Amino acid sequence: MPGIEYLFAALTPLNILLALGGVIAGTVIGSLPGLTATMAVAVLVPITFSMEPTSALIMMGAIYTGAIYGGAYSAILLNTPGTPSAIATTFDGFPLAKKGQGDLAISIACIASVTGGLVGATFLLLLAPPLAEIALAFGPVEYFWLAIFGLTLISALSEGNLLKGLIGACFGLLLACVGIAEISADVRFIFGSQVLLGGIETVTALIGLYCIPVLIDLVATPDRHLKVDHKPRGFRFLEALAISWKAKFSLLRSSVIGTLVGILPGAGGSIAGLVAYTEARRTSKNSHNFGKGEPEGVLATESANNATVGGGFIPTLVLGIPGTPPDAVILGALLIQGIRTGPSLFTEKASIVFTFIYGLYLATFLMLPVGLVIGRYAYQTIITVPKALLVPTVAFMTMIGTYAIRNSISDVIIMIVLGVIGWILNRFGYSPSPIVLGLILGRIAEQGFVQAWTIGSATGELGKMFFGRPISLMIIAFILLSLFYPLIRSRFGRVKGEVSHGD
Amino acid sequence: MVTSQNDSLQRDTATVGMACLFILVAVVFLWDTTRMLDSDSYVFPRAVAIAMIILSLTLIVWNLVKPRLEVGATSTHASTIRRVALVATMLAGCLAMPWLGFLIPGIITFFILMFIAMYDEWSRKRKILYPLIAVVIVVGFYTLFGNILQVPLPVGTLFE
Repeated sequence: MPGIEYLFAALTPLNILLALGGVIAGTVIGSLPGLTATMAVAVLVPITFSMEPTSALIMMGAIYTGAIYGGAYSAILLNTPGTPSAIATTFDGFPLAKKGQGDLAISIACIASVTGGLVGATFLLLLAPPLAEIALAFGPVEYFWLAIFGLTLISALSEGNLLKGLIGACFGLLLACVGIAEISADVRFIFGSQVLLGGIETVTALIGLYCIPVLIDLVATPDRHLKVDHKPRGFRFLEALAISWKAKFSLLRSSVIGTLVGILPGAGGSIAGLVAYTEARRTSKNSHNFGKGEPEGVLATESANNATVGGGFIPTLVLGIPGTPPDAVILGALLIQGIRTGPSLFTEKASIVFTFIYGLYLATFLMLPVGLVIGRYAYQTIITVPKALLVPTVAFMTMIGTYAIRNSISDVIIMIVLGVIGWILNRFGYSPSPIVLGLILGRIAEQGFVQAWTIGSATGELGKMFFGRPISLMIIAFILLSLFYPLIRSRFGRVKGEVSHGD
Repeated sequence: MVTSQNDSLQRDTATVGMACLFILVAVVFLWDTTRMLDSDSYVFPRAVAIAMIILSLTLIVWNLVKPRLEVGATSTHASTIRRVALVATMLAGCLAMPWLGFLIPGIITFFILMFIAMYDEWSRKRKILYPLIAVVIVVGFYTLFGNILQVPLPVGTLFE
């Protein structure tokens, strides 16, 4: 193992304490709707300025790891992803909680997050320089197609109607265009309203579209939020471990998917979770149960989004290109510490890099006890708090959390209005997930599309620009597969049935 | 039987209606792009709006060709008044914040939402305990965000 001597440097009492504190702080912040992993790292990063570079890196990595896992709590217990990475966790996490299995779902999410984190860290330790090349192979067109791939995946996952999912994704993409244009800086689609000038922030939309409909429905009936089992069942760790072991291949595959998607700058945990979820559903024996409370669905998304932590550090450390938004904050902190990232970092500053990677392992291991304990407490709180206190608390958290994103009351108003729109659309079969993902990926998609369009128009090879590059073609093939897979499967199933009947 | 057919018809009309609404949204976005001069500004939203119109039209045609009953998330005993009151209270709380700051509208909003979400009887214990908890939660979050996380929460023009 490279740099094994630095393992002991990572295991000093101070580093263990910093990693523990970072994981706890990250988990708590990540669990609050509105406070993302990026914000968790950004808010706590000034604390690290006075530390040794390795200790600072270990703490930042621990905050990041904890925050990504923390997002699963509100996804499972409130149907509101705490961070965009946890969007796909709501698909099976919340139905599990509704069935009274919220504690099991949280333990499964914890085991999956630890596994994903370890796989991501291992790729970072062993294969960082060669894997960083993947990030360079992706040009603007590839990013555009990757964004479209993410949107088709989530549309295909929209229960019942692919067309509605795609319309929702387009609606999300249009919402992402509101405000000042990314490339031309033109003011667009504000229709004379100053409130819309700053655009629609993705986390604002995430909270509005997921959380407000839950509150609207919660307040309308006297029914309990989640089914309650009065028997004390502990952490249900062994049960969760057995489920994870049973789905070990899916868990590992999802972790690898998460790492590879994490390497691509800007793609982030939301796409990683979706790709892993789709793949798990496609290959699972229980595919019919996905979306209705299938533990394997939680395993896939949570392992993938935590694997993006290690994956995202690969281009950050090797190329100086942040893989995910929190990596950008960490990159800034590294520059303040006087560390210049680049291919030579692994040789010239080996002590810092390898101590940090082993620190990431340490933080990931610490996430297991921390995650189980905080998760248990969060679950107990949600199921025991009376509705008269739960509704105003969650509502107040959404308001203050949304305000904190850009210190803007307009964002809070947009969040509530989007919530009402989301509730209405939901009643007509339009799931919030494609809309939110459209908003998240809108900027990446537009940037890729406009750049490719400009290059293609200038060279007179527009068609070749969009459809003539090998990686683009591969992603287009995946897009078509995700759109028409149910059709292909039913066709094959029918042919298979006819053959067996003929026999 | 007649009821079932009517229900199916109603649902299909709703789906078609929603698709028409999305077409309208796309047309409004398309219309707004006509005043843009830089192609970098309008090329992407135009492409998306056109895709949304095509998809919505396909949905309408699909519904006319293959009508089907869609089961919405309906609850027979759900209170619409409470739903509207929740949204109105949250919006009113937000609109009051620039004038009254974050804390006072926050506490008032919390109290009103507590009444809206209350289905149990207001026992003596609850009457004392719940308002206390409400104040602790609001002040706790206010302190966390305002003082620890250094978020500049509005003070209110009335108190400046």
